[in-house]
Amino acid sequence: MKTAFFPKLAWAGIRKNSKFYLPYLCTCIGMVMMFCIMQGLSSSPQLANMKGGGNIALMLSLGRYVILIFSLIFLFYTNSFLIRRRYKEFGLYNILGLDKRGISKIIVWESLFVAGISLSIGILLGVLLQKLAELALVNIVRGQISYDIPFSADSILYTVLAFGGIFLLLFIKTVFQIRKSNPLRLMQSEKAGEKPPKANWFMALLGVLILAAAYFIAVSIESPLAALLLFFAAVILVIAATYLLFMAGSVALCKILQKKKRYYYKKNHFVSVSSMLYRMKRNGAGLASICILSTMVLVTFSSSACLYLGKENSLDSLYQNEISTTIYLNKMDHPENFDTEQYKKAFADFFASHNVTPKETFIETKASTFGIIKNDKVMMNPEGNDYTSLELNDLRAFYFLTADEYERKTGQAVTLADNQVLLYTKDVDYPNDTISFDNLTLRIIGRLSKMPDMNFGDSPLEKKFIFIISSMDTLAPILELRDSYDDPLVTYGWYYGVDLGLESEQEIELFEEFWPMIGRVNRAEGSFGYSASSKAEQANDFYTTFGGLFFIGILLCIVFIFAAAMIIYYKQVSEGYEDQDRFEIMQKVGMTQEDIKKSINSQVLTVFFAPLLFAGLHLAFAFPMVWRILQLFNFTNLKLMILITIAAFLIFAVFYSIIYKLTARAYYHIVAPKN
Amino acid sequence: MILDVRQLKKIYTTRFGGNQVEALRNVNFSVDEGEFVAIMGESGSGKTTLLNILAAIDQPTSGTVTLNGKSLSNLKEKDIAAFRRDNLGFVFQEFNLLDTFSLEDNIFLPLVLSGMSYEEMHKLLTPLAERLGISELLSKYPYEVSGGQKQRAAAARALITNPKLLLADEPTGALDSKSSDELLRLFGEVNAQGQTILMVTHSVKAASVAKRVLFIRDGEVFHQIYRGEDTDQQFYQRISDTLTILATGGDAK
Repeated sequence: MKTAFFPKLAWAGIRKNSKFYLPYLCTCIGMVMMFCIMQGLSSSPQLANMKGGGNIALMLSLGRYVILIFSLIFLFYTNSFLIRRRYKEFGLYNILGLDKRGISKIIVWESLFVAGISLSIGILLGVLLQKLAELALVNIVRGQISYDIPFSADSILYTVLAFGGIFLLLFIKTVFQIRKSNPLRLMQSEKAGEKPPKANWFMALLGVLILAAAYFIAVSIESPLAALLLFFAAVILVIAATYLLFMAGSVALCKILQKKKRYYYKKNHFVSVSSMLYRMKRNGAGLASICILSTMVLVTFSSSACLYLGKENSLDSLYQNEISTTIYLNKMDHPENFDTEQYKKAFADFFASHNVTPKETFIETKASTFGIIKNDKVMMNPEGNDYTSLELNDLRAFYFLTADEYERKTGQAVTLADNQVLLYTKDVDYPNDTISFDNLTLRIIGRLSKMPDMNFGDSPLEKKFIFIISSMDTLAPILELRDSYDDPLVTYGWYYGVDLGLESEQEIELFEEFWPMIGRVNRAEGSFGYSASSKAEQANDFYTTFGGLFFIGILLCIVFIFAAAMIIYYKQVSEGYEDQDRFEIMQKVGMTQEDIKKSINSQVLTVFFAPLLFAGLHLAFAFPMVWRILQLFNFTNLKLMILITIAAFLIFAVFYSIIYKLTARAYYHIVAPKN
Repeated sequence: MILDVRQLKKIYTTRFGGNQVEALRNVNFSVDEGEFVAIMGESGSGKTTLLNILAAIDQPTSGTVTLNGKSLSNLKEKDIAAFRRDNLGFVFQEFNLLDTFSLEDNIFLPLVLSGMSYEEMHKLLTPLAERLGISELLSKYPYEVSGGQKQRAAAARALITNPKLLLADEPTGALDSKSSDELLRLFGEVNAQGQTILMVTHSVKAASVAKRVLFIRDGEVFHQIYRGEDTDQQFYQRISDTLTILATGGDAK
């Protein structure tokens, strides 16, 4: 009897509570599977061989940790829910003569069963689905497809170790939880009278204020760099505010409604408001978690989708030519030796020797800098190069074009004296007539109504000043200014761009020879700086980086949705048991079944759609901030982003509603008045 | 006559088909306005089934229940709740107070359901609470007060609608003897003021406060006795004797 007794008891416990254990097991299996897939992919040899695969492997192994930490928190949450439901059973065992050691033994066996089932099925599914995930990934980043079945003993071992550890922690927690309790309390814990929740006005108010602050930051930030820096802070604020509002704010709101006697003592409000008070107190934290998870899903998905789907657009604005190079004249030791013709000739020879005809050649001289504008002065280097996030907000980009260049582009001749300029401003007003850069003061004698068509896409700063100057000599006083790293404050260069109409593979091959060639041509000029880029190569980078992000975004979304579904399910079921008695009483006191159903409906709807609603609100306010950040990646398609964000929200809302429908059935099944 | 029960029969079919259980075989009795009737019987005699049918929570297999001139079987499910609210007050063994409401709100619940305004409700509550001795407790929650106090609040909830009939299901079952005495004294008082009461109990002490006691056995009204001019003490003795006879198998009819 001794040997099989505890395993049998444990197995019976799991089976009898299958309504709770089945979803729990599914969660465990899902988490193990996801981890196994990510682990397997990140160490897959195919990924290592793929161009840019290292990037993706890194992202995947980071994503792995996200899943691991998330699993730990989440399984603790669901496990404590499970154990609470079983207190009565354990209490009964205890009274019937099973001591706590015995109960711990049952828990040992239960943990072993749960761990065994989740690990074996999870890993099996993980290995099976890994190939599918790999194909999806390869398809997204446009890599080469291979047809071998990946199987790595290492990734299985890691999965077993990681989740074995989590299950061990869960087991220890459960045993402590049981050890601390006494049998009578175990028996009664479900029925213990609950104090009416007190409204914590301070916390509620704090929640409102923090949320307002977070939203203010989100909408008021204009500079992409500042947005990137403050995004994390805003996220923390939003998380804190969400918890405060759901936990304290909701209770306070119910209390306010209760105090309005005319409102409260109405058939439709009376029962709902008073039950909501308790419901929110018990579920505030859970609902806030659902809300935050939902927001994360939405933001992750929409931003990674934007980057991935909008990459063509970003590429076009970032790279106007297929192959381009900029030679920085003020980084040269002897700029006076610089000879444009020499370069042009070298480039023409290069393309001729490779049997390609450069379709368009694009040459210009331009200078650019950035700085903070104060009145009519531009501070180009405040306190080294460290900008606070507030200053980042005031950062502007300045471009200088010569009158000759402008005439060449537009056909319009302009005559300017020294230090006289024409100004075009994008997205910013500048009312003054003069503007000073250090010791150089420019006089604005006219304004352009149309932006000169040229490559301005290389700065993430949206607010731009474009100056037409008489010649580059005008800038001489500031061209030699250096920052603390001895880099010039003003970038002054010669831009060369070319379109060849080649396949991307060929273009990349050509580019591999092109950029060392520039170095050889220029060695005669002494030391200098230059940059060169190939659009096709950058495109590959975009695919792997953003495609990888998108892929991981999807994986994480699946995990988050899965988790949200579980939390909702457990909420519904536990609520159901708590509400069961209550609705029986109400029926006896004279509520019709219809009234009861209506009341249940309105409460359940409020409880479960409040997180979705708030997630939508968070998403709406995060939108401007995410938009600024995406601009850093030269994503400029606002329409696409609005479309993707709305689509993401709608898709998510559909998922959420399906989950709600499924779980609501479980709830109604429990509370439905029996007749 | 406020309540008339004729040839009431209730047969339960157990959940998986098969067995049929006859809870009520043939119950006949009536209650006049202002009466205080106790129904006694052992566990399983059909008391609770009877009460559930009277409350329109359960439907009889056959037979009629006429309450205040209306047959319950003719009521639609939608009207039943309103009917229950307007005509019946309930006091249960387990109090059945909602723990999410303060005592005051618990008492208001049936009034709110019938759409009364707060001012009106408040006017009704003040004298009633005074009479039941719970004026000081109204803002407390069920978990904060004793069983006796809970039961008095439940009585207030039952009485505040001014019901035609007060149904009490084992109202002293969960109370200590002091609280029981208080509650029974209270029932006697409200009855003296004209409230019709029908109480199901198996406590002789509780039944001895009533004016008439019906005994149910095996789904039938087996016997009934009237208080007449007896004191509580004397009536207690007679009920007790009757029960002894019933238990030892006497045939009173």
